Amino acid sequence: MKTKIKKLLEEGRVDGFFAYKTIHGFFFPYLFTKENMDELEDWKPSSARYPIAKLLLAQARKNPEKTYGVLVRGCEERAVHELYKWNQLDREKVVMVGQACTADLAADCECWKPFPTDVAYGEAVEPVAKSARVEMLEKMAGEDRLKWWLGHFNRCVKCFGCRDVCPVCFCTECSLEHNKLVETDKLPPDSSFHLVRAIHMGGRCIDCGLCEEVCPANIPLRVLYKEVGKLVEEVYGYKPGSDDGKSPFTFLGDELMLPPGPR
Amino acid sequence: METEKKFEPRIVAMLCNWCSYAGADLAGVSRLQYPPNIRVIRVMCSGTVSPHHIVHAFQRGADGVLIAGCHIGDCHYIRGNYMTIKRAKFMEGLLNFAGYSPERLRLEWISAAEGVKFAEVVREFTEKIRTLGPAPSFEASPRLATAVL
Amino acid sequence: MTDNDKSRNMLGSVMVIGGGVAGIQASLDLADSGYYVYMVENQPSIGGAMAQLDKTFPTNDCAMCILSPKLVEVGRHLNIELLTLTELQEVEGGPGDFKVKVRKKARYVDLDKCTACGDCTKVCPVSLPREYDQDLSERKAIYKHYAQAIPSGYVIDKRDKSPCTNACPNNVNAHGYVALVSQGKYKEALEVIMRTLPLPGVIGRVCPHPCEEACRRGQVDAPVSICAIKRFVADQVDVEDLPMPEITKRDEKVAIIGSGPAGLTAAYFLALDGYQVTIFEALPVAGGMLRVGIPDYRLPPEVLDKEIRAITRLGVEIKFNTALGRDVTVDGLFADGYKAVYLGIGAHGSLKLNIQGEDAEGVMTGVEFLRKVNLGELKDLKSARVAIVGGGDVAIDAARSARRMGVENVSILYRRSREEMPARANEVNDALAEGVEIKFLTAPQQVVVKDGKAVGVQCIRMELGEPDASGRRRPVPVEGSEFTVDADIIIPAIGQTPESKLLSDVTGVSLTKWGTIEVDDLTLATGREGVFAGGDAQTGPWIAIGAVAHGKEAAISISRFLKGEDMKTGRERVSLPQENFTPIPPGTKPTEREEMAALAVGDRVGDFREVEQGLTEEQAKAEAARCLNCMACCECEQCVSACKVGAISHLMKDENITLNVGSIIAAPGFKAFDPKLYDYGYGKLPNVVTSLEFERILSATGPFQGHLLRPSDHAEPKKIAWLQCVGSRDTHHCSNGYCSSVCCMYAIKEAVIAMEHSKIPLETSIFFMDMRTTGKDFEKFYNRSKDEYGVKFVRSRVHSVEAVPASDDLLLRHFSSEDGQLREEKFDMVVLSVGLETPPETVDLAKRLGIELNEGRFAVTSPFEPVSATRPGVFVCGSFQGPKDIPLSVMEASAAASEAAVLLAPARGTLARKPEVIAERDVAGEEPRIGVFVCHCGINIGSVVDVPAVKEYARTLPNVAYVDENLFTCSQDTQEKMKEAIHEHKLNRLIVASCSPRTHEPLFQQTIKEAGLNRFLFEMANIRDQGSWVHQNEPEAATEKAKDLVRMAVAKSALQQPLAEFKVNVTKSALVIGGGIAGMEAAMALANQNYPVTLVEKKGALGGHGRKLLSSWEGQPVAPYLDDLVRRVESHPLVTVRLNSEVKEVSGFVGNFRTMLDGEGGRYEVNHGVAVVAVGAHSYKPKEHLYGQSDRVFLNLDLDLALRDGNEMVKQAKSAVFIQCVGSRIPERPYCSKVCCTHSVENALRLKKMNPDMDVYILYRDMRTFGMREYLYKEAREKGVIFVRFDVDRQPQTELIDGKIQVTVIDHILQRPIVLNPDVLTLASAIVMEDPEELAKLFKIPVNPEGFFLEAHVKLRPVDFATDGVYVAGLAHYPKSTDECIAQAKAAAARAATVLAKDSITAGGVVASINKDFCSGCQACLNCCPFNAISYLEQEGCCEVNQALCKGCGTCAAACPSEAITLLGFSHMQLYAQIDEALSA
Repeated sequence: MKTKIKKLLEEGRVDGFFAYKTIHGFFFPYLFTKENMDELEDWKPSSARYPIAKLLLAQARKNPEKTYGVLVRGCEERAVHELYKWNQLDREKVVMVGQACTADLAADCECWKPFPTDVAYGEAVEPVAKSARVEMLEKMAGEDRLKWWLGHFNRCVKCFGCRDVCPVCFCTECSLEHNKLVETDKLPPDSSFHLVRAIHMGGRCIDCGLCEEVCPANIPLRVLYKEVGKLVEEVYGYKPGSDDGKSPFTFLGDELMLPPGPR
Repeated sequence: METEKKFEPRIVAMLCNWCSYAGADLAGVSRLQYPPNIRVIRVMCSGTVSPHHIVHAFQRGADGVLIAGCHIGDCHYIRGNYMTIKRAKFMEGLLNFAGYSPERLRLEWISAAEGVKFAEVVREFTEKIRTLGPAPSFEASPRLATAVL
Repeated sequence: MTDNDKSRNMLGSVMVIGGGVAGIQASLDLADSGYYVYMVENQPSIGGAMAQLDKTFPTNDCAMCILSPKLVEVGRHLNIELLTLTELQEVEGGPGDFKVKVRKKARYVDLDKCTACGDCTKVCPVSLPREYDQDLSERKAIYKHYAQAIPSGYVIDKRDKSPCTNACPNNVNAHGYVALVSQGKYKEALEVIMRTLPLPGVIGRVCPHPCEEACRRGQVDAPVSICAIKRFVADQVDVEDLPMPEITKRDEKVAIIGSGPAGLTAAYFLALDGYQVTIFEALPVAGGMLRVGIPDYRLPPEVLDKEIRAITRLGVEIKFNTALGRDVTVDGLFADGYKAVYLGIGAHGSLKLNIQGEDAEGVMTGVEFLRKVNLGELKDLKSARVAIVGGGDVAIDAARSARRMGVENVSILYRRSREEMPARANEVNDALAEGVEIKFLTAPQQVVVKDGKAVGVQCIRMELGEPDASGRRRPVPVEGSEFTVDADIIIPAIGQTPESKLLSDVTGVSLTKWGTIEVDDLTLATGREGVFAGGDAQTGPWIAIGAVAHGKEAAISISRFLKGEDMKTGRERVSLPQENFTPIPPGTKPTEREEMAALAVGDRVGDFREVEQGLTEEQAKAEAARCLNCMACCECEQCVSACKVGAISHLMKDENITLNVGSIIAAPGFKAFDPKLYDYGYGKLPNVVTSLEFERILSATGPFQGHLLRPSDHAEPKKIAWLQCVGSRDTHHCSNGYCSSVCCMYAIKEAVIAMEHSKIPLETSIFFMDMRTTGKDFEKFYNRSKDEYGVKFVRSRVHSVEAVPASDDLLLRHFSSEDGQLREEKFDMVVLSVGLETPPETVDLAKRLGIELNEGRFAVTSPFEPVSATRPGVFVCGSFQGPKDIPLSVMEASAAASEAAVLLAPARGTLARKPEVIAERDVAGEEPRIGVFVCHCGINIGSVVDVPAVKEYARTLPNVAYVDENLFTCSQDTQEKMKEAIHEHKLNRLIVASCSPRTHEPLFQQTIKEAGLNRFLFEMANIRDQGSWVHQNEPEAATEKAKDLVRMAVAKSALQQPLAEFKVNVTKSALVIGGGIAGMEAAMALANQNYPVTLVEKKGALGGHGRKLLSSWEGQPVAPYLDDLVRRVESHPLVTVRLNSEVKEVSGFVGNFRTMLDGEGGRYEVNHGVAVVAVGAHSYKPKEHLYGQSDRVFLNLDLDLALRDGNEMVKQAKSAVFIQCVGSRIPERPYCSKVCCTHSVENALRLKKMNPDMDVYILYRDMRTFGMREYLYKEAREKGVIFVRFDVDRQPQTELIDGKIQVTVIDHILQRPIVLNPDVLTLASAIVMEDPEELAKLFKIPVNPEGFFLEAHVKLRPVDFATDGVYVAGLAHYPKSTDECIAQAKAAAARAATVLAKDSITAGGVVASINKDFCSGCQACLNCCPFNAISYLEQEGCCEVNQALCKGCGTCAAACPSEAITLLGFSHMQLYAQIDEALSA
């Protein structure tokens, strides 16, 4: 890791690189530049996760002319891809270096692709095809499911952590703070808070699960968004985060203009 | 003895200006009778109806939401209704997963010539909602506790 | 244009004849480009045949959904004047200045007042077949053409006067009361009768009813019992129970002499007019002959008394026992202050027999006898013997009365035979049944007198000789046949006469030689001023209704006389035409005429009880139901009373109007062929229907509400057959040798839609000769119908359709074209795919227009001027030009508009009206002050919804500053009220709770605009169409709903801001891309309208593929036309030709494009307002069939050149083969190239002409010589061209054997290979697109999978793109013939001109708007906008809406995750507010 990223910085391929740094024995996301590149560490497998794509987005917005490198897991790579497609990041201004997740982490996440396209560090492990949690809920009777969810939503303290940590929550104006949609002075919020957020995850959520990790109330948000991802794939044939050339705007419906030329 | 007030479904309908709203008008011109539970909101295209509007209607206590637009191919705006059809499917799935009956959301294609269909749809949908009963509240309930997974 | 043309007066107006889709398009294009349009339509509303269609092929769009917005646009257009029910009469003048006479039929409904509420229809008693539903459902005589009709008002169907009414001497509206009786509306029926006849019960009994003689029901079975129905009405409703009419009293006194039917009627009408009327009656009783001339058993006195009482209660006084001459005189009456005198003294005198003994005791006249009987002056006749002389009604009355007086022995002596007897037959029968003896051929010679008393009549036998003046055979005495009839009472009843001696001392009144009073024929005035006469005294003895008529007419004269008005005006007697009646429905079943019950014969003698008992209610209704409603409207005027706005007047008259226009466009459309002549049982077998009927059956607005049912038993069909070419390609049953061009596609469409509609599995079969799916995407539709839907296609000729015995099913016999076998198959329903034809009335129209028709009776045009009729300045389009589908019609309509616009270019804008500009009040800083107007809509809302409660509720809502309720909010006076309220109460927003914004929003928006408010500050609550009308039985719920809807509207309105509409300037020039025929024609059409054009051509010369074409399909050479066109283009001062040039960059939008061209001399910029894409297409270069391997293998275009250049090889050829569909209609190119069948036939004919002995074969899959091209195909067959059909999977095989071409094809009929060795092989190769992608990207215009440019809407916008300001023409759109290319080019120019004619484009209003602060720049909106109205601003990182391009659908708003975009007028906040209020109750 040291050498590779250093090289990128030295050659001027990137103006900065998002990787991690061990502080007090914990991994922290960290922006390395030419100035501090000597602080770079050797890569170590870990389960530590952080909103690295979100940090990248914030920096890229501040310095649109600069190119950044980023050390990505499968989910983080997906986030970056999705941000390209939503016109939030410039593909030309990002360099990704991949790391594979451990089998344990992949199992925990029920991750459908626990590795990036190019794995520079670690070994790619088997993806998890189905989410047991989603299946469990799908089996429930509708009424029970509602009770189940309301029981969870009941704990929400509306800290907006789920949104703030989300790598694809890039909106400048957030609908969760829209007084008509989600009443501002209501705690716990009613289902509309969670449904509106779920809607916004449609066509965007790349299933990193940070929302659920940061939720102080332990609301199983990732299950909800996993279902959203499933629906989007079924209805729109779109899988957020994949680099298959498909536009997320099929989310809006069929292609609006037939592409020119015989088909 | 006091009897409980009979449940009357409250239905919000969002109809596209060009086809379905005209179909609803035609039902009137033809004097077709249907239940008075529906409240119509005219929109320019069924594609104008966003998931937010649907959530909002349910949050405010709608027992059913009807979205109606032009048949596929008939859209005044070429293909606004292509968006609607997918949005509605997505919303049905989401509502279902959250525990709300997807049958409370209904999408219909009703042309300007289909007064009869409009009346039929309203009749049927109202009856459907009647059998489903009042929509469950959106309020998070402190009485319900669910173990963390 | 020559100087001569310029000097001519040019008018900036155009008449468009026909309100179908073609007429609509032509009108809109012209009106949108600065011309004033008169749209003339002979139907009550526009829409034409398209309005009747269910779906349209090939996209299966709902026809009404796409048409209806256009209808509304026409209805509202400032520069289109709609003349419905109007026909062209005569045209004078020439191009630029025509004088056109039209006749506008009365509508009887004032469209300015009619609110289309439908109250009139509810009360109309007349049901007729609904033409809109092809007679498969019913409408009323007052009706709306169809639900979405424009004009939206009602219309009364009124034909020639009903024969019954017309035949009545008094024109009593028999049709009216019969119709009302059929509905059980007896009181209303009586009121109709009383309008003209105050003696309904009397006349209903005694009238010989000439009405029934005239009744057309007699043509089916027997006339309706009209008279008995009238009596029934009078018996059913007590005339004294009718409300007292409102009478305005007048001072003038009128004297009437005689209280018979004439006097009573005159008195009645004069009293109604307010005059003081006194009747002077000589007898002690009133009624005249009705009383003393008609026996009680026919007219009970109480009936007469009651009706006289109903007259006297109006204030009419009767002085009895007061005789003229004895007690009063005319002079005396005038002296007593009477201002007018009416002489209605009747004909109480009798003719004498003039025989010996006539003065003896015991002889009395019939009139005298009956009077004495009626007055009770004769008693105890039991032992008498009575002999009556005569054969009329009086004789019979006397005889039957005598029987009732107890006389045993009653004889009638009549000198002729039964046949000649003038008395009514039933009366004679009754008399015989009652025991009266009638001695025929018996003439009295003298009265036998004994002791001064009569004891008998000496008679002589007669025999019948030659006919006399009356047409009856003259009786001749038989010598020596004298005999005597014993009688004590002898009653001569041979005729009556007025007692003229009464008048002998009335000065100034003269008598005729028959002793009747001489009067003016029209006014009934006598020679003495103020004295009028009528009834039998004037006419001589006649029927009572005649006297009534005279009384009524005299009353009119007297009233006018007393008012000092002219008595004659408007009373000229005209004989009304009796031709145009509602047709007798073909299925009318004969029914028995109901007869009244009669008193048993045994009960009659010795008793004057009424014999005829009247109809029962059941009988009366049954009789009334037999009425055929000849006149359609029965003029009962129920509608007039029902109409709350007073929109209906039966007095409206047809109008003749002369209009001055610069040009005329004729688009009168077609008529569906009537297939009665075919052996397919149409008209007899109810389940054999025409395709148009089937459209109605499929339609949701049709007779079965879109449920697929068959007519006979309303069962769901399981098997339906379509029979093609009914009335097309047929010169046996009809003279329609042409192909109707549309039937193949509509049959497939109907089959597919039927299968989609059917609740049960449905089998569909189409029986056809050639499947002609030539249009864009038609072939794909055909393939899908086979492959995905399983429609069966049977290549076959249908011989007959018969009923399957004892069922409603149908047996179809057909000869297979595959193997020649006769087959039978059973179907539940058969649909006849009827062709399009020009109906006789349109042929007549063509005559009046002065234009020629071709052999198919379509307008003659030339291939190079496809919409120009033979009369200069007159243009044609649509199916009048030739049978065609909707897109072609629309295209031609635009082309015709273009031609008219070119002609009238100097006068553009001279007659067009401009909308008024009104200053707008700035309300931005104001708090909302909302006015709410709640409408009763007559009783339409008010009878269900509690309008006052809704109004009061509205008052309580936030921001509401004013409320009001109106009877009709849309009426003109209410608009003024609303404006006043806006000013007085400082309202800044307005809500009307009434009907639908779709129909009424523009009206109210205009109102608030006139009051200085931005029109978008108006909102509607639809409490009628979606309220009272659909919850008629739930008034409380409907009221609550209305309150909710008002609350929702108020919440929305409070959030509504004024919306800006702004102008974007237009660059008045065009860019045309492509220098072929289409491009050049488009360029010329625009340049000739004075718009500069840049014409871009890729190649080094103009002309394109047209250079290779030898001739049009009709044989006109292309080269001279093309050379001329190139010359005109190159020399036109406004056309800049850019050769060797290509488009490289395009920016901007409609009205303001900026395009960079690369070409000779580098890159240059063109600024233009519009662009026409006419880049053309190419011939497919086949890889198959030896193309390129032998110089004997040609493409059709090559053969054209070879023929032109006299190629020796072709000249010498002994045999030639054409192979069709090379590269077309195959999986990789699933479309028909449309022109190749005709081109091959054309060239085959050329070869045959050059060398009649040449063997010419055309190998084809389906011969697609659509339209008039069919004649060419026919000619080719006649000239011996051999046509061999092959299947797509059994393609002809071509080989080169020893340098010779060998073609092997499997013949279908013979089922074996045919080997041909042609000297010339011609391949009909496909037309293909090459590289459209680049241009498509530049202009953001789509192409279809085959590479052809995709228009905005295949049906109604065939030359537009979704991107405004860009148009398509020529082969780049789809393969088509030269004439179609030219038409399309002109159409594109017309569409482009609608932009260029404007100085600016209005943008804004209901459009999307982006709050840039909220935008994250994700571009979701940009990607979902179908109109390319959104762009991404790289610098700001956010998106922006170009309001000039935005069409206001709002899909972007729904796609924006942050709700940064909102649709103005339908903002998110407004929608939330509406949702909240919908649920807040």
